[in-house]
Amino acid sequence: MANFALNVNGVTHHVAADPEMPLLWVLRDFLQLTGTKYGCGMGVCGACTVHENGTPVRSCQTTLKQTPGKQYVTIEGLSRNGDHPCQKAWVEEDVSQCGYCQAGMIMQAAALIRGKQNVTDQEIDAALSDHVCRCGTYTRMRRAIHLAAREASRP
Amino acid sequence: MSSRRAFLKQSTLASAGLFLAIEVPRTFATSTTTLFEPNAYISITSDNIVRLWITRSEMGQGVRTTLPMMLLEELDADWSQIRLEQAMPGGKFKGIRLRTSGSGSTVGTYSALRKAGATARKMLISAAAQKWKVSPASCRAQKGSVHHTATGRKMSYGALAELAAQQPVPDKPLLKDRKTYKLIGTPTKRSDNEAIVTGRAKFGLDTRVDGMLYAVMERCPYFGGNVASFDASKTKAVPGVRHVVAIESGLAPGVAVVGDHTWAAMRGREVLHVEWNPGPNRAFDSEHFFNEMNVAMDRAEGAYLVRNAGDAPAALASATKRLEATYRFPFQAHAPLETMNCVADVREHSCEIWVPTQAPEAAQAESAKLLGFSPDAVKVHVTLLGGGFGRRLEVDYVREAVELSRAIGKPVQLVWTRSDDMKFGFFHPNDVQHISGGLDTQGRPIAWMQRSVGSDLSTLGLPTEEARKNLKLYSDDGLPWGSFDNPYNFPNLKADFIPLNSPVPTGPWRAVFYPPTVFARESFLDELAHASEQDPLEFRLQLLAPGDVLSLGDARMDRGRLKAVLELAAEKAGWKTPLPGSADRAWGRGIACNVYDSDCYIAQVAEVSVGKKERDIRVHRVVCAVDCGLVVNPAGLEGQSESGIIWGLSATLHGKIDFKNGTAVQENYNDFDVIRMNESPKVETYIVPSDRDPGGFGETAVPPIAPAVANAIFAAVGKRVRDLPITPEKLRA
Repeated sequence: MANFALNVNGVTHHVAADPEMPLLWVLRDFLQLTGTKYGCGMGVCGACTVHENGTPVRSCQTTLKQTPGKQYVTIEGLSRNGDHPCQKAWVEEDVSQCGYCQAGMIMQAAALIRGKQNVTDQEIDAALSDHVCRCGTYTRMRRAIHLAAREASRP
Repeated sequence: MSSRRAFLKQSTLASAGLFLAIEVPRTFATSTTTLFEPNAYISITSDNIVRLWITRSEMGQGVRTTLPMMLLEELDADWSQIRLEQAMPGGKFKGIRLRTSGSGSTVGTYSALRKAGATARKMLISAAAQKWKVSPASCRAQKGSVHHTATGRKMSYGALAELAAQQPVPDKPLLKDRKTYKLIGTPTKRSDNEAIVTGRAKFGLDTRVDGMLYAVMERCPYFGGNVASFDASKTKAVPGVRHVVAIESGLAPGVAVVGDHTWAAMRGREVLHVEWNPGPNRAFDSEHFFNEMNVAMDRAEGAYLVRNAGDAPAALASATKRLEATYRFPFQAHAPLETMNCVADVREHSCEIWVPTQAPEAAQAESAKLLGFSPDAVKVHVTLLGGGFGRRLEVDYVREAVELSRAIGKPVQLVWTRSDDMKFGFFHPNDVQHISGGLDTQGRPIAWMQRSVGSDLSTLGLPTEEARKNLKLYSDDGLPWGSFDNPYNFPNLKADFIPLNSPVPTGPWRAVFYPPTVFARESFLDELAHASEQDPLEFRLQLLAPGDVLSLGDARMDRGRLKAVLELAAEKAGWKTPLPGSADRAWGRGIACNVYDSDCYIAQVAEVSVGKKERDIRVHRVVCAVDCGLVVNPAGLEGQSESGIIWGLSATLHGKIDFKNGTAVQENYNDFDVIRMNESPKVETYIVPSDRDPGGFGETAVPPIAPAVANAIFAAVGKRVRDLPITPEKLRA
């Protein structure tokens, strides 16, 4: 057991836990941030993706001892009112089916489009193909990412 | 199919008599008063909020959008005043089906929900008419208010609710003419979109109740085995571990580790030592089982007829050209992204459950049975489901959680890990199909014989051995689907089935029996077409005439509708036009079709390329044409088309479960691969407009994709692969 100051969505939480505990379970079981999902536990499905200093990481592969000094953002903190360009585009393109994988997908896509005028299909494939959507919503997801990139780069 | 039809009949009966008690429900705590509750589906409170109860589980198929659309079409309330509530088994839903299966959510609720909406609307109009002392005919309902056109008066549903409750309940409320529909038939976005993209949507694993502990469970890896002994000394030393309990009510007996959080339970499980009694299936091997199936196929004992037209053996013997082929389909896991889980809180005389399930009635009944309670003492909250696909029709994980909560006397969330989920399921059974076909001197198909060897999915409660003896030919009690209901008009057609069950627990997997039979049937049609030197589309079309209706028991299959979707898919895909082609890749198109449960007609054309050197397979485009009656939400159908195609494609190119030494080999998405973004084809869906009642579409798009792709690969490189998945290795061989 050790004490950690964990910064999530701009708030510092004091957590006393096993340093080997994956961030995923800290978020879900301690901080009640259940938007970040468990899917595989070994970093091969992407459902647990969060931002670490702005970069998408798998929270199931990130242990508590790796977190000090870093800032994390989860789906709950991606935007104040659910109005991040990816969130809006996901609604506009009616992407979600069961919805379970979508938080991880959106976090990955949000990092992909940041600062870009345009994304190519190849970039989308490269960024999103470590994720699993068992409902197969990829066609609409691809459209949503293109839309989000266009909207985000509007002056 | 038999169970699906029976269920539909049952649910229609149950919902024909609407529940009309006026009662204040205690399921939600608000300061408002329920004034008007004309039936189980609708309540209107004094704050002008209209609550709609959803009587199916949302697992991605869109019931929390489609079902409200049907209610609202008749109710004329406004989306902005709607709150969705999830129905719970028992109480006012006693006798109303909540089970979600068989692509039946729209089919099974279409009548009841419109009637429920129309009943409420009529009573609200009566109330307004009474208030204003005018005739009901001079009033109309619109966007949550009743209007009196002549005087311009209007009152909201909330304001009218109290008086509406005193109106006589119409026996047969007049339903709207389909031509006037404003919602049904209009593409409508999913009602849960905002909740999902912000992380607010609550799935089963997101359930948190006061004082809840978390558990994982080590299960006996051999089907039929059990726990001999266990040593929990190291487990109990792990910080946060609270209890270690043997559990025997699930799919496989085992030992649960309970902790303050999921990670503590997982750490405790890592150091748990269990000795197993392996039981009789320690040596089970799926490859050996395939050999047993081949032997059964050759011995031909115990085969029972499911369809017999003309004299297929004689026609085959007389054929100018004869062909035969054997196809195989491996075991498949459902692998929904949300693993199995359940929160149970067992008290002295009651039990409360939160669970992502397709079978809330079974969750309630089996929990009650396990606890010795009456079903009314078990309250089941159905959460959102992170995928269902048939796996969540079983409630083994509910029993485990209930048994565990009873043992520790606290609420507990039982979490299955991905590996648990992959290894302990009700798998799609493996399957072998053998088909023989004959052509006459002009190359016309004159004989078809299809024999299936596989599981009869005993968990579904489909025909017992006794029932099979009395099976009526041409009835929809026959198994397997896709073979007995072969839609093509062969003058001589015989289909039979040899049930052979392995120790592996099996159950419905998206589209149930169709995927293996349709893979074989549509692949073999392609083989016959090539053998007769005909175009595979034209070859099919000659066996399907407009107006030719096939009767199968109480079902009617219109071959003309199937022909029409084949022609539509071919036209949109540019079947006759050349493919782009490239120096390093061979391109091909393949076509396949099916009729799902006699009411949903579908055809797909796949465009595929194969690397000339590496033999890697890419599916570029799938064109899908559908005729499944009236489409309530075209946007939803399009989504289910994309979804079903990706699901089927995962099994076509990647997915399978092997069993060795009595246990599943695959453990996670790294060795049970599924289609991801980079392999996802462009999908186009075309809907044939129809005035018929809606058909079901949750599973319909799955079966044709495997043969469409296999046929396209043959067109591209001349290689016929008859066992799934189709891999580059098989194309190199």
